[in-house]
Amino acid sequence: MKILYSWLKDFIDLDLTPEELVKKLTDLGIEVASVETTGADFEGVNVAQIIKIEDHPNSDHLHLVTLDLGGAKTQRVVCGAPNVAVGQKVPLARVGARLGKNVLKPAVIRGVESEGMICSSDELGLTQTRARGIMVLDENLELGTDVSALYGKPDSLFDLEITSNRPDLLSHLGVARELGALLNKPVKLPEIKDIKGEGKALEVEIRNPQGCPRYMGRIIRGVKNTDSPEWMKTRLAAMGLNPKNALVDVTNYVMFELGNPLHAFDLREVEGDKVVVRNAEEGEKFTILGGRDLELNTNCLMIADDKKPTALAGIMGGLNSGIKDDTQDIFIEAAYFNPPTVNKTVKKFAVSSDSSQRFERGTDIEGAALAMRRASDLFTQICGGTASEINDVYPEKFENPTVEFTPAQINAILGAQIPEERLKEIFSRLAAEFHAGGGKWTFKAPSHRRDLNHKWDLAEEAARFAGYDMIPVSSTKASLAFAENPKGIDLGKKFARELIGFGFCECKNIDFVGEKEIKAFGFDPKFCIKVKNALAQGWDYLRPTLLPSLLKNVESNFRFGNTNLALFETTKTFQSIKGFPVEGYGVAGVLTGTLEQEKFFGAKERPVDFYLLKGIVSTLLADVEGVTLVPSKNVPGYMHPKICMDIVLGGKTIGLFGKLHPLTLKAFGIKTQEVWAFEFATKLIEKAYSAQDFKPAKDLPVFPPSLRDLSVVVDKSVTYAQIASALDKTPLDVNFSYKLIDLYQGEHLPEGKKSVTFSLAFSHPEHTLKDKEIDEAFNRIVEQLRTQTGAELR
Amino acid sequence: MTIQEFQTSCGAIEQEYKNKIAQADSLSAVEELRVAALGRKGALTELLKGLKDFSIEDKKTAGPLGNALKASLAAMLDEKTEFFAAKQINDELNKTEIDLTLPAYPVAKGHRHPLSVAQDRMTDILSRLGFEWAEGPWVEDEKHNFDLLNIPLHHPARDAQDTFFVDGKMPLVLRTHTSNVQSRYMEKHKPPLRIMAPGRVFRNDSLDATHSPVFHQIEGLYVDKNVSLADLKSDLTAFMKGLFGNKAEIRFRPSFFPFTEPSVEVDVKCVFCQGEGCNVCKGSGWIEMLGAGVVHPNVLRNCGIDPEEYSGYAFGMGVERLAMMMLNIKDIRTFYENDLRVLKQF
Repeated sequence: MKILYSWLKDFIDLDLTPEELVKKLTDLGIEVASVETTGADFEGVNVAQIIKIEDHPNSDHLHLVTLDLGGAKTQRVVCGAPNVAVGQKVPLARVGARLGKNVLKPAVIRGVESEGMICSSDELGLTQTRARGIMVLDENLELGTDVSALYGKPDSLFDLEITSNRPDLLSHLGVARELGALLNKPVKLPEIKDIKGEGKALEVEIRNPQGCPRYMGRIIRGVKNTDSPEWMKTRLAAMGLNPKNALVDVTNYVMFELGNPLHAFDLREVEGDKVVVRNAEEGEKFTILGGRDLELNTNCLMIADDKKPTALAGIMGGLNSGIKDDTQDIFIEAAYFNPPTVNKTVKKFAVSSDSSQRFERGTDIEGAALAMRRASDLFTQICGGTASEINDVYPEKFENPTVEFTPAQINAILGAQIPEERLKEIFSRLAAEFHAGGGKWTFKAPSHRRDLNHKWDLAEEAARFAGYDMIPVSSTKASLAFAENPKGIDLGKKFARELIGFGFCECKNIDFVGEKEIKAFGFDPKFCIKVKNALAQGWDYLRPTLLPSLLKNVESNFRFGNTNLALFETTKTFQSIKGFPVEGYGVAGVLTGTLEQEKFFGAKERPVDFYLLKGIVSTLLADVEGVTLVPSKNVPGYMHPKICMDIVLGGKTIGLFGKLHPLTLKAFGIKTQEVWAFEFATKLIEKAYSAQDFKPAKDLPVFPPSLRDLSVVVDKSVTYAQIASALDKTPLDVNFSYKLIDLYQGEHLPEGKKSVTFSLAFSHPEHTLKDKEIDEAFNRIVEQLRTQTGAELR
Repeated sequence: MTIQEFQTSCGAIEQEYKNKIAQADSLSAVEELRVAALGRKGALTELLKGLKDFSIEDKKTAGPLGNALKASLAAMLDEKTEFFAAKQINDELNKTEIDLTLPAYPVAKGHRHPLSVAQDRMTDILSRLGFEWAEGPWVEDEKHNFDLLNIPLHHPARDAQDTFFVDGKMPLVLRTHTSNVQSRYMEKHKPPLRIMAPGRVFRNDSLDATHSPVFHQIEGLYVDKNVSLADLKSDLTAFMKGLFGNKAEIRFRPSFFPFTEPSVEVDVKCVFCQGEGCNVCKGSGWIEMLGAGVVHPNVLRNCGIDPEEYSGYAFGMGVERLAMMMLNIKDIRTFYENDLRVLKQF
């Protein structure tokens, strides 16, 4: 809502600087988005007419312009504007004129003296369009007229952000009332010359009294539609409106002044002698001002005549009944429409107006009468005409509830000690119907404040007007009922902490992905959550997987020259099952280049490979009981067909890791490097793992282990898993562990063979092993490998 | 040899060798002295050989005297030997040639995302103030996101939220605030309750320097008997001081939220311009930090809590806004670009 300082002063005596007013409004909870100065902040600029244009001798775009100042005086100035033309009347600033803070000095431009300047509207401070070109004035203006006189005095325009609970502040009167209560100053209503109506207005029939609890109408005949007076145009322009003609302007003017939207119909277009307020019929057609065709439904409240609808109630008039330049007889409407009724139609058609914004939030139902009288007065003053009586259909008078409360209750809500006298002062300024007798106080809000319905609302008023500084800062008190952190949260943090320990950087990505990406990662869009009103194409779905976002991060980092990346994200993932949303929690990471992230002088970089990834994944999941990693049987299309393993927990695949398919990378614009990835869901892990659980420490062995190396040669086709399985199953009388320390194939080995070397550790819980015992165990292992895998000792 | 002569000889040997040992300037000199004094034919050894001719009485005096001298000379020699052994090692070490100013090897180190850094900081402070962590769905029904929170259908306050709607069996939205956790939690738990609910929220706002369709909030809710706006002020003051230190400047302004009454806006003095006015604070010198207020009686009632018996406060703050202030990040998009050059700074 824009508020013009000079307009505000029509209602309340104020002597505040713009900064002071901003502070007061802010303290009341009214945010001021901006303050700008309007009006003419210049002197010594007069109307002059261009009589001759010559080329500048030293420039191909400047001109020498000779102007007639009136009174047989002429003057020549240099001007570079592209739109100068002989005959134009323009604002001419002569040497010594003041434009804002600058005083015009004589100037020599490319060797020619300029005795003044033809101004653009930006240069006069009237606009900030940055458009080039001089301002062309009305050709009827008299030469020599002081241009500043056309624009009124400098003024301040405040752009207020009004919260939706305070529709009363969407007017100058409302803001004045608020300041009046704060500053304890009386609010003056505009002086209205009451018109005694002659003759009947149109009959009004309200068929939906819930949608329209009050409807007032009046006819004014014989009006002359003309231009509005300058003062009104200036004020409306400040509100951001283009002044049209007096009949339209007056309705807008009264709305910005008093807060009640009005509507004027051209009486010629109203058929019959009755106005009907009714709901539309399903499918009824209606064309609103501006020419848009609407197909209505039964929720739409309409203003209609005998034959047709003439307005979308409270929102916009119809094209058929609008005010025209030659309109002679008008019907004025001042009404109250039910906020949700208006809101439904606004939303259905995405039509909004200054009027609907007020009705949606709730206007002052009693104020409609004042608005009608004010508008009638302005209409007849400006356009003449004869007004009829007012037809006021208001079957059920609106009453705000009476709030019973005690001052102690107000202070209890606030935790403050506002003295009773101060509370009385505040409440009595807000409502005439406030009584502070004995223990119980009663308060009945005026009709423009429908937001004051109970003691909490009144507590807020008390705090606003007493100032929030009244509320003390006491010591913190807390009543606690101990609850555990959600497991998923703890788990996410645990994985994040560990991944950061491994050298990964955490990413956060926007949760939206496109259909192409979903499909590329093996998801059926049918089982994904689709956003109905997506912001952009490619942002239509909520992510079922975190990998596409991470690949985008890889690609953008490549562009910035970071080619060694270890990135991860832990957050929710989304799928849809039978139309119901299912939120999971995922951990995903990508790896490319080297983990050191840069080349360095000391040693060779170690590029990321599958076994490093496997180490990261298995370390990450090491303390989750029951996790196994198995080669994927059905490798998804986005992964390398041979380099992909499943993460399995309790027989269910909860994730995978491996190398991304080069075509997947290509689709994300990654062409130069291999990328490794992992992703798993934590839902099942939550059950297997609890951060709150303590894990008992294991006893350490007392006797040191004895180490032996074992090298065997096996067929290339024998997998590590087969060898390990054979080792695990060797029957032994001692404890035994093994570690793969070398893998070799090539020279010195027969074709089709590989050499595998383990470090073996033997121990016994009760004594140090003797050589004999170790030899026996070692031999059994060799025998086991020989029979199970065909291994020969090397 | 009389006992007196023995004593005199001991004194002479002690004098002579202690001087010599002190002056020894190499390992070999020390070893030569050891032989000369304590060797098989050393001066002291030779002298001690005469002990056997003394009477038992004299032996009792002379024996300990001689042994003590032997021990003390040996200790002096050992000390000197160790000194030269250490010197030899140090001389060797001092020949080392290395350029210590060469750059360090890179140690792979991961980094927490700046938003996580900020959120962790905030939740740590809140948990010290006694707030339990609570969660709610991100894809939410309109009842929990709006209706129960006193944001009625066909009210402009509901339209102002720029909601994302979702295809599905029932009317679902992407939650527009973390306040859905309020309604979810109060339906299931009775007072006293004191929770925080950090998480993502969604608004249909185009991505620009100050807006993102996805951002993070932290909700706080405290409901018990006699909770007032003053409790809110104390707890939020404690929270802000926890974040910005005891000098943090804060102001409360009245505001409007459908789910609180009275409602307040909490501002913090702009850290970029110290209140002078800049781009970030849009020239006002203050940054809106969070919205808060006394829980609206309708919200309590909607969740089955009697507003005449219990009262509470609630607040909700944006993590991005705070992270931007704390970490000097000037564009909200920075958080979602995941540029390694940025990530590595945290």
